[in-house]
Amino acid sequence: MAVPDERRWLRAGYAALAGIPLIGIVFFLGFSVVQDLENLNSAHSDNVQWTLSQTEVEFLEFSKQLSLSTGGDATDLQLLRRRFDVFYSRVNILESATVYRPLVENEIYAEALTALRAFLDETVSLIDADDDVLRAELATLEAKVASSRSAARTVANVALEFFARQADQRRRDLAQTLIKLASFVAALIAALAITVFYLRRLNLQRAAQQLEAEEAAARMDTVIQTSLDGVIVANENGQILAFNAAAETIFGHQADDVLGQQLGPLIVPDHLLDAHDAGMARMRAGGEKRVVGKGRVQLEAKHKTGTTFPVELAIQTAETTEGTIFIAFLRDISVAVAAEKDLTVARDQALAADRLKTEFLATMSHEIRTPLNGLLGNLSLLSDTRLNPNQLRYARNMETSGDLLLQHISDVLDLSRYDVGHAELRSDPLNVASIVQSIVDSQAGLAANNNTTIEWGWVGTPSNWVRSDQDALQHILINLVGNAVKFTRDGKVVITVEAKKIDSDRANFVFRVQDTGQGMDADLQGRIFDDFVTGTVAYDRDVGGTGLGLGIVRRSVAALNGQIEVESAPDMGSTFEVSLPLTITDAVPELPQTEHSAKPMFGLRILIVEDNRINRMVAHEMLVADGHSVEEAHDGLAAVEMAADIPFDLILMDISMPVMDGRAATRAIRQGGGICADTPIIALTANAMASEQAAFLEDGMNGVLIKPLSQNALRWAIEDIAVKSIEADVTEPETAHRNEMREILGEETYQVMIARFCAEVDELHAWLLSDLRPEPSEIATRCHKVAGSAGTFSVDAYRKALLSIEDAQKAEDFAAMNDGIARLEQVWQDARMAL
Amino acid sequence: MTSFIKMLGLIAALAFPVASHAEMLAMPETEVVLTVSGIISHSNVDDTAQFDMQMLTDLDVTTFETTTIWTDGVQAFEGVALNVLMDKLGVTEGTILASAINDYTVEIPVTDAVEGGPVVAYKLNGGIMSVRDKGPLWLVYPYDDSADYRTEVVYAHSIWQLDRMEIVE
Repeated sequence: MAVPDERRWLRAGYAALAGIPLIGIVFFLGFSVVQDLENLNSAHSDNVQWTLSQTEVEFLEFSKQLSLSTGGDATDLQLLRRRFDVFYSRVNILESATVYRPLVENEIYAEALTALRAFLDETVSLIDADDDVLRAELATLEAKVASSRSAARTVANVALEFFARQADQRRRDLAQTLIKLASFVAALIAALAITVFYLRRLNLQRAAQQLEAEEAAARMDTVIQTSLDGVIVANENGQILAFNAAAETIFGHQADDVLGQQLGPLIVPDHLLDAHDAGMARMRAGGEKRVVGKGRVQLEAKHKTGTTFPVELAIQTAETTEGTIFIAFLRDISVAVAAEKDLTVARDQALAADRLKTEFLATMSHEIRTPLNGLLGNLSLLSDTRLNPNQLRYARNMETSGDLLLQHISDVLDLSRYDVGHAELRSDPLNVASIVQSIVDSQAGLAANNNTTIEWGWVGTPSNWVRSDQDALQHILINLVGNAVKFTRDGKVVITVEAKKIDSDRANFVFRVQDTGQGMDADLQGRIFDDFVTGTVAYDRDVGGTGLGLGIVRRSVAALNGQIEVESAPDMGSTFEVSLPLTITDAVPELPQTEHSAKPMFGLRILIVEDNRINRMVAHEMLVADGHSVEEAHDGLAAVEMAADIPFDLILMDISMPVMDGRAATRAIRQGGGICADTPIIALTANAMASEQAAFLEDGMNGVLIKPLSQNALRWAIEDIAVKSIEADVTEPETAHRNEMREILGEETYQVMIARFCAEVDELHAWLLSDLRPEPSEIATRCHKVAGSAGTFSVDAYRKALLSIEDAQKAEDFAAMNDGIARLEQVWQDARMAL
Repeated sequence: MTSFIKMLGLIAALAFPVASHAEMLAMPETEVVLTVSGIISHSNVDDTAQFDMQMLTDLDVTTFETTTIWTDGVQAFEGVALNVLMDKLGVTEGTILASAINDYTVEIPVTDAVEGGPVVAYKLNGGIMSVRDKGPLWLVYPYDDSADYRTEVVYAHSIWQLDRMEIVE
């Protein structure tokens, strides 16, 4: 039975309330009794009655003295008078005392008293008279006394009876009051008994509740004590009220030691103590709660030893009769935090290691390339000398090996370039068929050596022209075809291309390279696109390789948003399938490529800035061979100093050098205001990354030559940049320049050169206007080349016309290009007149 | 001559120290209204101390107003306080047996004679009291001042027509 607490207390309250009037009545009655007792105590009745009876006594005394005084003796008379006076005073009292007033209402009494007064009035004159008169009247007095005796008696009797009755009445009243008092006391006792009964019942219920509460508390205590989380309860003042076993373990404090103590100094780290106190003060003031009720919070806590460690905690408040209490659940998360930290460190280390690897690859490839450049350059020079057949063969072999080595290094560089994310893909119009054809052509010889046939063809409708990155596409196909040829003996390599239309200008191009070679097992297929995977040992010995080829293919395909798959079985050959989403574009006039032959400029004054002695020597030799005068600087700073005083026509600037690198030197030359401030500077670098090349140009360089240097590339760059620049510098009249040339070269030589130039122009025009449709890039190239010559002979208008054609091609504005070609003959005719 | 008298006075004072605070009792010159006998330190007639009205009125006067059960309305009493009288007689302990003209006698402990307590009244409402009007002396208490003075015992002690006192152990 669950009677709510309130109702039980209410009932007890009613019982107590019922007792209150009872107590009041008992008090009132008690007061009455006390008053009655006081009345009895201070009651005048005894004295009053005594006085009354005394009246008769005094009357009798007077009467007795009267009879003794009959002799008339003076002393007796004096005594008689005294007795009379005493009696007189008694009657006076009866008449005047307030206590006797009620008696007057009794007629008998009043009559008797009146009789006594009458007696006194009649006799007083006798008493007050002198002895003789009194003596004479004694007999008369005696008679009057005799007649008044009954009155005296009546007064005494009536009064006595009256007062006796009055006393009786008072006693009865008292008795009644006492009875009432007794009954109310009994009622009060009954009420008290009821109250006691209720209180007892309440007490029992309370005891039961307390037991229940204690059991609940014990259960709660067990829950808290066995909780895996630390539980700390504190009051508003920060005093600890509870501290469970887990908290003991976490903080190292014993509960008995900390109960009642301040929470802050015990578990809050010293540097957070001020914030903790401020927070507690803020909460006491009813302010914002920053931690309480905010769910899980991560904070620092302090161990008994003073060390701090991270904890995760949640705090809630509860209102109790003793005020607000705070319950905190805490968990030591040192291990989790440490683990997280370890993980972070491990990840950072892994990332750093990966970065290091990439940097290592880039650096090493660069460092390997530099001496390799020297080797190949010297080989090139060596090949140009007189050699016997054996020596020539050895030199060729060395060149082959060197080229292969260079290829491997380029692979590694490509790899790191993709991994670092520097790969920049172009989107040029290109002919898929011609790319595949050229690859097939290049591999045909090797295939023939292995007694393998190689062929390719379209599946479905051919779609030749697309936009993509030619280098990437070529790289993919060369690798796949090269591999197929490498691993196939006495078999067949078939390449198919299929264009699956996605929409009007996009198609999924599927390149399939199928061979009948040795094939791969499933395990190798799974790893074949990983880096440095080279198959079996036997295979290694057989064909060699870095194992990077397919890794780069995979990256290239991914960079082109494509997919690559392989299907193979041992001795059953392999099929690689690459699908690339490519944009279809209009056909661009295509011509068979012609050998590019640069025509050397000569007589330039060139500064080579290069720290590597061999490379410096190679470049030096190449330039001297072309008739240039060359000076050398070993580092950037030396170059800057020389450039300040010597009017060079061209500076070839290595990038990474001691003391001052090429970029800083270029900036210094450009900003130094020296004699070479505007001289063209060409970067020499083994670092082929496009983004860096752009940075070189920003530094003020005019072009970039990738190492290893080749004679052709060098000539091409000199023509392209130096001549253009030299012409731009020459602002004097064209004829003056030509006259100067005439002087320097001599009339005869000059005329020969003019003739050669005119022939070159005619050949160009004939080629441009022929029925062949030259490829735009080729047109630009040839125009550029002739423009260089035009610059030499100062036919500026014609040179500009050629350069505009080149610019139009580069901007892919083919309409403007064709327009330029159409106008070219007229411009030439005008220019020729001036020569 | 005067210095000799002073010397005598000094000797007398040293010889009878009691006399130093209670003057020697004079002799009654008119009718004696109160005779005190028994254990008293000072007397004037034989072993008793006898007072005429003049001697009483010469003592420190006490006046007060009170109602009594024997009279009607507030009464103004004038007299000598019982403690003053006892002091005059060198009485500090024992019991006073007070008697009236009609030989009515009551026993009053000397300790009842306190300041603000019973008074031997000789004037009522400004006039001398005759025997017919409870005179000439009436031992009254200030009944209105305290409930303690409204008891049967006190009423009994309130003796009128008082003319004798005997101090006993």
